Amino acid sequence: MFSYNFQLALKSLKERPALTLLTILAIATGLGLYTTVKTMSYQSSQVPLAHKSKNIFLLQMDNREITADAVEHQARMVDTTYKDTLNLMQLEMPGVKQSFNWSTYGILNVEDENINPLQTTAAVVNSSFFTMFETPFLYGNGWDKTTEESGEAVIIISKLMNDKLFGGRNSVGESVRINTHVLKIIGVLDTWYLSSKFYNRSFWPGYPDNFFIPYTFAMDNNLPRSAGFDCWAANADISRSFRTENKDRLINSECAWVTFWAEVPEAKVADYRQQIMSYMESEQTLGRFPRELAMYLTNLNDQYNYVNGRNQFLNTFSVLATLFFAVCLLNAVGILLAKFMRRKKEVSLRRALGAKKKTIIMQHLLEVVIIGLLGGLLGIVISYFGLQGMMSIRLYSSDYTVRIEDIQPLFQLNWVMIANAFVTGIICTIVASIYPIWRLCNIPPASQLKSQ
Amino acid sequence: MLRMENVSKIYRTDLVETHALRKVDLHIKSGEFVSVTGPSGSGKTTFLNLAGALETFEEGDYFLDGHNVKGLSDDKLSEIRNQKIGFIFQSFNLLPDLPLFDNVDVPLRYRGMSAKERKERIEHALETVGLASRMQHLPTQLSGGQQQRVAIARAIAGDPLFLLADEPTGNLDSLMAQQVMELLEDINSKGTTIIMVTHDDQLARRAHRNIQIFDGQVSDIEKSVADDVIRSA
Ligand SMILES: Nc1ncnc2c1ncn2[C@@H]1O[C@H](COP(=O)(O)OP(=O)(O)O)[C@@H](O)[C@H]1O
Ligand SMILES: [Mg+2]
Repeated sequence: MFSYNFQLALKSLKERPALTLLTILAIATGLGLYTTVKTMSYQSSQVPLAHKSKNIFLLQMDNREITADAVEHQARMVDTTYKDTLNLMQLEMPGVKQSFNWSTYGILNVEDENINPLQTTAAVVNSSFFTMFETPFLYGNGWDKTTEESGEAVIIISKLMNDKLFGGRNSVGESVRINTHVLKIIGVLDTWYLSSKFYNRSFWPGYPDNFFIPYTFAMDNNLPRSAGFDCWAANADISRSFRTENKDRLINSECAWVTFWAEVPEAKVADYRQQIMSYMESEQTLGRFPRELAMYLTNLNDQYNYVNGRNQFLNTFSVLATLFFAVCLLNAVGILLAKFMRRKKEVSLRRALGAKKKTIIMQHLLEVVIIGLLGGLLGIVISYFGLQGMMSIRLYSSDYTVRIEDIQPLFQLNWVMIANAFVTGIICTIVASIYPIWRLCNIPPASQLKSQ
Repeated sequence: MLRMENVSKIYRTDLVETHALRKVDLHIKSGEFVSVTGPSGSGKTTFLNLAGALETFEEGDYFLDGHNVKGLSDDKLSEIRNQKIGFIFQSFNLLPDLPLFDNVDVPLRYRGMSAKERKERIEHALETVGLASRMQHLPTQLSGGQQQRVAIARAIAGDPLFLLADEPTGNLDSLMAQQVMELLEDINSKGTTIIMVTHDDQLARRAHRNIQIFDGQVSDIEKSVADDVIRSA
């Protein structure tokens, strides 16, 4: 019976190839776009450093004035002030690692006249940044605390910069210029793939920064700060000149712009929290932290959950793709319905000759499953090209300062997505065909056979 | 073998109720050739549809081969149609895109027979109707009479208890009608019960027994009685 129904299903598909193709195309296009978006959402929501993401915490202390508004979510809470950053780095806690960073930018230049200077984004970090976030080094290493404290002019550059400025050779020991400063290269990062740039809380998709310099050097030379910042009423005047404000005023201000991270083992989280609270209490006695004391430790997983839920672009795009898919399915239902209804007479004859309802259902379900399978396959092919297209747009919109290998995983189909597309394709096609098949199998036997 | 007791069938639509059959009492024995006549719209097709388990009814009982058909599930009715009944329709109702072999194959497929048995039965049935040499032709390549013979082959291939024919010659010219009638008589003579609706009085008279339906009511005239009526007229 199965093989007979299968033969009938194949025959029907071959009988009207244009209609079959149209149905498959309707499903495939809808599914293709849907899978493209799903894959992008899935890949960009992958939490980096998965093996320890629940132990990496963003630290936030509420240093705002008494009149400040309540925040809607702790993710909206302010960053850390420079003086708190330095104070916290002094805390002695075995097993706990702390690191911090903020964003800057600069024009990198080399001696070679033939090489054009490059303007790019960069991060100001401290020495433990590289170990905490496990950055991959192609050449050289990070710097140590002593180097950092001496304010030495060292720099770590990305693979992209190394390729553009030094043709990919080992440039450790050579130097680059940022404006008038000459910095010695001590390390070159290999491709460091991140689903999004989480460490500065921008969660911007893809590639990390192109050079990294010690915070001491950045402060001593007052390199520009491109990070978001919050200066409270007391320092409102600084707000206007924040990016280039001189460091002595900044150091003593309540301006918060440093993103502060702590890697704390499970067992030490309560202790760590306690320690931060007592630090805040002692600062309070000095007249700071005017509000009721509040601090937040949010691990990477929770931050990603929050950010993913608020990814406007992908969320809107997801809704659109789902709607588009639904429209395509509706189209497929229309085509199937029209096609099946032409078969009323044949079905009523088959019923008269002894076909059971379930046999008729099976025959048409098989036909639909074949359509769903082919639609699913073609949908996956379409989503592959869709993702390539989206990646090209991303490369183009970055003015090609990004390289494919930096962002490719964001646009990569994986088995989960492929299986998902397949199952979705088949299930949706079956669901779409329920009504047409229901109509067909309920045709009374012989009802369509009356002589005219 | 086929017994209806007090069977009524009412078609209800939003506007009207049609009493298509009223309290039919009828017994048809194995091996009979019964013709059914009556004016158009009197309920002949409805009667055949009930007899063929194509439709359900609310009142009365219908015993087929000793079992009451009333209230059986749709699946069970399909099985009965498939195994016990052969249908012949006025407009042949062959599947136009299937060769004769595959057309005759349809009811056998739903019976789940082995390929070998099906092949034997199909060939035998097509031989019986004289079309064994045309097995791979499409129905459209045949004349009307030939098409009806394929339909008869399809009806008898499964060795049913009885054949139901609704105006089997209605679409045929008189020569072809003769041939089809002869074929049916031949099949009947080998033991298959046949119930045939017809408009043609001459053909009706060739049956053993004639049933007349007027306005949903059945009057049953035994052949002997009918002959007397004709003789005295
Ligand atoms: N499916 C149906 N729905 C409603 N009325 C029907 C249906 N089938 C038949 N009828 C009505 O039942 C009566 C008997 O019809 P039918 O059995 O087809 O007559 P005949 O075959 O003798 O011409 C007619 O009045 C017809 O209109
Ligand atoms: Mg009729």
